[in-house]
Amino acid sequence: MTLSRLLRCAGVSTAIHRFYPVSVGNQQFVFWIMASTACFVIVSRNDIPIYEAEVGSVLKKEEAAHLHQFILHAALDIVQDLAWTTSAMFLKSVDRFNDLVVSVYVTAGHTRLMLLHDSRNEDGIKSFFQDVHELYLKILLNPLYLPGSRITSSHFDTKVRALARKYL
Amino acid sequence: MAPLAPRSGDAVFASVERVNAELFTLTYGAIVRQLITDLEEVEEVNKQLDQMGYNIGVRLIDEFLAKSNVSRCVDFKETAEVIAKVGFKMFLGVTATVINWDAEGTSCSLVLEDNPLVDFVELPDTCQGLSYCNILSGVIRGALEMVSMKTEITWVRDMLQGDDAYELRVKLLKQVPEEYPYKDDD
Amino acid sequence: MIGVGKAKQYANVLDKPLSRGRQEVSLSAFAFLFSELVQYNQTQVDNIAELERRLEDAGYAVGARVLELLCHREKGNRRETRLLGILSFIHSTVWKVLFGKVADSLEKGTEHEDEYMISEKELLVNRFISVPKDMGAFNCGAFVAGIVRGVLDSAGFPAVVTAHFVPIEGQQRPRTTILIKFAEEVLRREARLG
Repeated sequence: MTLSRLLRCAGVSTAIHRFYPVSVGNQQFVFWIMASTACFVIVSRNDIPIYEAEVGSVLKKEEAAHLHQFILHAALDIVQDLAWTTSAMFLKSVDRFNDLVVSVYVTAGHTRLMLLHDSRNEDGIKSFFQDVHELYLKILLNPLYLPGSRITSSHFDTKVRALARKYL
Repeated sequence: MAPLAPRSGDAVFASVERVNAELFTLTYGAIVRQLITDLEEVEEVNKQLDQMGYNIGVRLIDEFLAKSNVSRCVDFKETAEVIAKVGFKMFLGVTATVINWDAEGTSCSLVLEDNPLVDFVELPDTCQGLSYCNILSGVIRGALEMVSMKTEITWVRDMLQGDDAYELRVKLLKQVPEEYPYKDDD
Repeated sequence: MIGVGKAKQYANVLDKPLSRGRQEVSLSAFAFLFSELVQYNQTQVDNIAELERRLEDAGYAVGARVLELLCHREKGNRRETRLLGILSFIHSTVWKVLFGKVADSLEKGTEHEDEYMISEKELLVNRFISVPKDMGAFNCGAFVAGIVRGVLDSAGFPAVVTAHFVPIEGQQRPRTTILIKFAEEVLRREARLG
C-alpha cells in the first residue's frame, strides 16, 4: 500500500498537505507547513520503532504519531526488497505522498533510519543520516544496550534534533 | 643468575603479544551483560566481577613478576607505583597515577588515565549502582595477596557514575613479613 | 599505544569519537578475561552443550556490534548483501580486526550446498585454554562461532554456526573449523538475486 493511499484511508486529505488545519479550543488555525517539515523514525531489524522525533514540524502530536504509523507500514515493505538490491546504506527516497517524500538509510545490521520530509535537499538528508548513523553506532556499542530496544538516551534525542536543524 | 634490571611499563608492553582492545572491551561487556541477566541484582554482579578479578589477580602475578623483572617490592609505596606504571601498562596498555597518600603510607589512590573497559558504556537506569569496572579492584587485591599484602580496595570515583575520573582507593591492611617463595622460572 | 595521555573528559559517550581500532591490550589480559568467562559459565550449566550455547550467546553480542562498527569504519558504509560477500567480510575484515590476521581458510562444504567453513589452525581463544579430558569435545571456539553468528544474523543471513576440532595429519593439535549452515531463506534470496 502506498503512503498516499494510507493517508487517504486515515482521512487525511491530500489537498491540505500544504495548509494544515489545527484546532486550538474551538478556533481553527491554518499553518503553512515549513520547508523543513519532517518526521524521523528509527526502526529496528524486527520492524519495531525504537526512536521517533518530529523535527521542524508544526503538526499536532497525534497527527504526527499517525504519520509515523503510515511511514512505517507503507515504506517498510518497499525498503525490505530494495535493501537487497544495493550495498549502499542511503537508499534515497523510496516512497512519496504528493510533496512529502520518505527517504531511508539502512545500516549494516538492517536498522532503518526513515525520514518523511518535503525538502529536496538530498545532500543534507544524506549527511543527516550519516551523522545519526554514527550516533546510533555509539548507542549500539554500549554493551548494556540491548540491540533492537528503545533508545531512551536524552543526549541522543538532543543530538538528533540538533543534526536535523543543521542539515534539514 | 644476576638479577635483571626492572623494565619500564612501555618496554614490557611493547614486547608482549597484544590484541585489539575492541575485542577485549566487547568481550568484557558481554560478560557484564551475562552477569546482569543471570544474577539480576546489581550488588551480586559487583560481587561476581570482583571475584573474577580476584581469580585473575592470583594467576596474573607470576606473569607480571617474570616479564617485568620486578623483584619483590620493598614497601607498599613502591608497590603502588609499580602497579600504576608497570602493571596497568603491561596488561591494559594504560597507566595510572598514584595520589593522596595518607600519613602512614598505607593507603593511596590509583587514578586511571584511560580505561579500556568502558568504551561507550553508559549505565541504563536499571543498572544504577553497577560498579562496571569492579573486576579491576579484584585483580589488584588478588595479585597483592600473592605477594603477602592484604588490601582493601574501593572505588572512590567512577566516571560511569558521573564522577570526573576512575579512582581506586587501595588500603594496606596487613603485610605478612616472611619471604615470599617466588622463583624466577615461570 | 605507548604514552597514552590523560583520559579525555566527555560530557557523554555520544560526544566521544568512535575508536579507530588501533588501541591494544596484552593478549594475556584477554586470555585471563576469556578464561573467567568460560569458568563462570561452567558454574551455570549442567552439560557441555549448554556451556557452548552460553559462550555462543556472549559471542553473538560481540558479533552484532562488530558488524555495524566494521561496515562503517572498514567498509566506508557499504553493506554486504550477498552470501559470498558477507563470508569474505568475516574471513578477512572481522578476523583481521579481532584476531590480527585473516582466517586460514574459507571453504564451501562439499556435501551440502548451504554449508561453509572458516578454519583456523590455532584459533585465538583456543591457544591459551587446555580443555580437561572429562569435557570431551568442548570447544571454546563456540564463542567465536557466536561472533560469526552475530555478524551473519544481524546482516540478514541467519545461520546455525558451530565450532569443531578437526585433526590435521602430522600435527599434534587439531585445527578449529567454524561450520556455518545457512537458513533456507538465505539461499532462496541468493537464488533470486541471481
